[in-house]
Amino acid sequence: MQLSEEQQAIGRRNFLKALAGTPALGLLGAAAAMKGPVPGGPVRLGIIGVGGQGRALLNNIDPAFGDLKAMADINPDSLKRADEVLLKRKLPAATHYVEWKEMLQKENIEAVLIGVPLWAHADATVGCLEAGKHVLCEKMMAWDVDGCERMTRAAERTGRLLEIGYQRRYNGVYQAAYDGIVTKGLLGDVYHVRMVWHRNGNWRRLGNPPSPDYNPSQWGYPTFEHLWNWRLYWKYSQGLFAELASHQLNAVNWFLGSHPTTVMASGGVYRYNDGREVPDHIYAIWDYPGGRTATFSSIESNALENRYEVFFGTKATLLVKNENEAQLFEEGSAATQTGVQVSPRDSGPAAESSETRPGNTNAGTAAAAAPDSPSGARPAATKQEISRFCAAVRVGTPLACGPHEAMHSARACIRANEAIQKKMRLDL
Amino acid sequence: MACRFEVVLPGEDARHVSAARAALDIADRLEAQLSVFRETSELSGVNRCAADQPTEVSRPLFALLQRAARIHAETGGAFDITSTPLSRCWGFLHREGRLPDSQAIADALTHVGMKLVTLDAPSKTVRFHAPGVELNLGAIGKGYALDVMAKRLRRAGVQHALLSAGASSILAIGDDGAGWPVHIRPRLLDGARVARLRLRDAAIATSGAGEQFVVVDGQRYGHVLDPRTGWPASGVVSATVVTRDAALADALSTAILVEGPALAEQYCERHPDTLVLMTLDGDPERTSVVGRCRGALIEKD
Repeated sequence: MQLSEEQQAIGRRNFLKALAGTPALGLLGAAAAMKGPVPGGPVRLGIIGVGGQGRALLNNIDPAFGDLKAMADINPDSLKRADEVLLKRKLPAATHYVEWKEMLQKENIEAVLIGVPLWAHADATVGCLEAGKHVLCEKMMAWDVDGCERMTRAAERTGRLLEIGYQRRYNGVYQAAYDGIVTKGLLGDVYHVRMVWHRNGNWRRLGNPPSPDYNPSQWGYPTFEHLWNWRLYWKYSQGLFAELASHQLNAVNWFLGSHPTTVMASGGVYRYNDGREVPDHIYAIWDYPGGRTATFSSIESNALENRYEVFFGTKATLLVKNENEAQLFEEGSAATQTGVQVSPRDSGPAAESSETRPGNTNAGTAAAAAPDSPSGARPAATKQEISRFCAAVRVGTPLACGPHEAMHSARACIRANEAIQKKMRLDL
Repeated sequence: MACRFEVVLPGEDARHVSAARAALDIADRLEAQLSVFRETSELSGVNRCAADQPTEVSRPLFALLQRAARIHAETGGAFDITSTPLSRCWGFLHREGRLPDSQAIADALTHVGMKLVTLDAPSKTVRFHAPGVELNLGAIGKGYALDVMAKRLRRAGVQHALLSAGASSILAIGDDGAGWPVHIRPRLLDGARVARLRLRDAAIATSGAGEQFVVVDGQRYGHVLDPRTGWPASGVVSATVVTRDAALADALSTAILVEGPALAEQYCERHPDTLVLMTLDGDPERTSVVGRCRGALIEKD
């Protein structure tokens, strides 16, 4: 989707224009609903896995909602760095554990955040649920469908909450697009969705073991490299489909109110033949009921297009870019340089007079679609995610992505990898 | 006109959205009629044929050309719809500014001037008296389009709306309560705000050298050319005109950028409902205000 600056400005304006008259902008609605501490006080939390993603969670725990008591990780360096996060945020220190089972036995916690490698999601989640804890597990739900099912059954059996963390569900731009555009039918019928997540670089992370004699084999990782770069090995990972596509597919399922029934896929290790097992280039086509089709590509060799989801409807096209801005183009008018704005009264100018700016958007409101910098959208969504989870634990507010929702996107991604391996079109 | 047209309605006036859309369709139609960037436009047809024979045009276009000729006379030739050969010579037509040699400027000037154009009212025809003459409504067309749109909106019962064309032309219908707030923020002044206005049934246009320019040997040459000398206008960095109709505001803002404060003083004296705000070269901190317009209130900071 290479659009000129001018077209993008128009698209942003169109998006806001379409939201005008939406009573509570999703951008603000969720945040407003979450203001103030939860009745009953913050939820006592533990966390399992404080690597990169786990620490991103720590960085976004709002102390009014969650009180971190303990953390477990098999890598002492990760625990050290997690301490630094808490210190920097002036939050109380949390007790360290190597084994999460020990943490569950010893700590008086109500809920657990899980940020371990994908293959360990199911065991950790089921263990926590069975110990009576509520769980917020990072996406993707589990390494295989069996794991997803075990997690779902455990949640049902124990009556505890299970939320799978998909930030897009808590992102104001997506919420506004869903409430103000999708549910209002402004797109018409959507037959095609395109998902793109392109990067140009090696996915491999560089890092050193916490000590020369560190041996993670007791936890299933023959070498530190397997633990550190777990995303590159099939035993622990479902590759780019799990780490990237599942984010987008989960949002597409949400917007379409459906989930795919078949998948075709292609891909391989094409650029970085460095011992990794999971492909560095993948392409997939998922079919949904009603003649709807979603395509996805993720490449590690060109970043021009970066990441976006486009919903092509019979009446309009919705583009959500980099998780932080949305653009809307009515059919047949993408290039028309006209716009109608119904403006709420505020203190700012209704217009600014200056020399001609070709195809400009006059007022400064376009930026409102992107309240955060590209790097800022995610933390804000992650904070919402944890706070909403805590609110659900305390007062029963609904979750955005429970096990059934999450299973659909997980299954579609797991089967996409199978489709590459079997060179077949697969039913889901 | 190659700019974005917008209609802003007060929040409670959402019922007028369809009227606003219809008005915006007018902007598209006028663009198709008046733009010299479209070979199929009526004006492009005139430019192709009028040197060979008197060329008949539609009534609205003829009226607009007459209007342009009148403003040309009233501004001592500072506003001129025949200056395209000069813009081309300076490379501003396709946004590739360059410093031409003096012979090229002299050659271009032989194709410039309203004296080379005859508008015959009875036959509604346009005639050029030399080959190479070209009409370009870029300095009045946006305002004209807003006037036509406003007429349509008023007829549809719209009492309050703010219309704009690419930020350089803005027209207020009604006052949205306390007057439509519009800030003047020329780009050459790094986006610093030079004034805050409240508009009621008035139009505002801003012209500036900041829009397009070429720098040669450290000297900056703006894209607004004096049609009489062939050289870029200097002295005024930004000129804003507020008056009752947008076409006039549009044309005058260009003329005052070309001719400077003297024209502003003289014009405002003869035409009471005209307000001019200027930022002069060398004095960017100060805004010179000349005349007054009943539809515009300047707010103090």
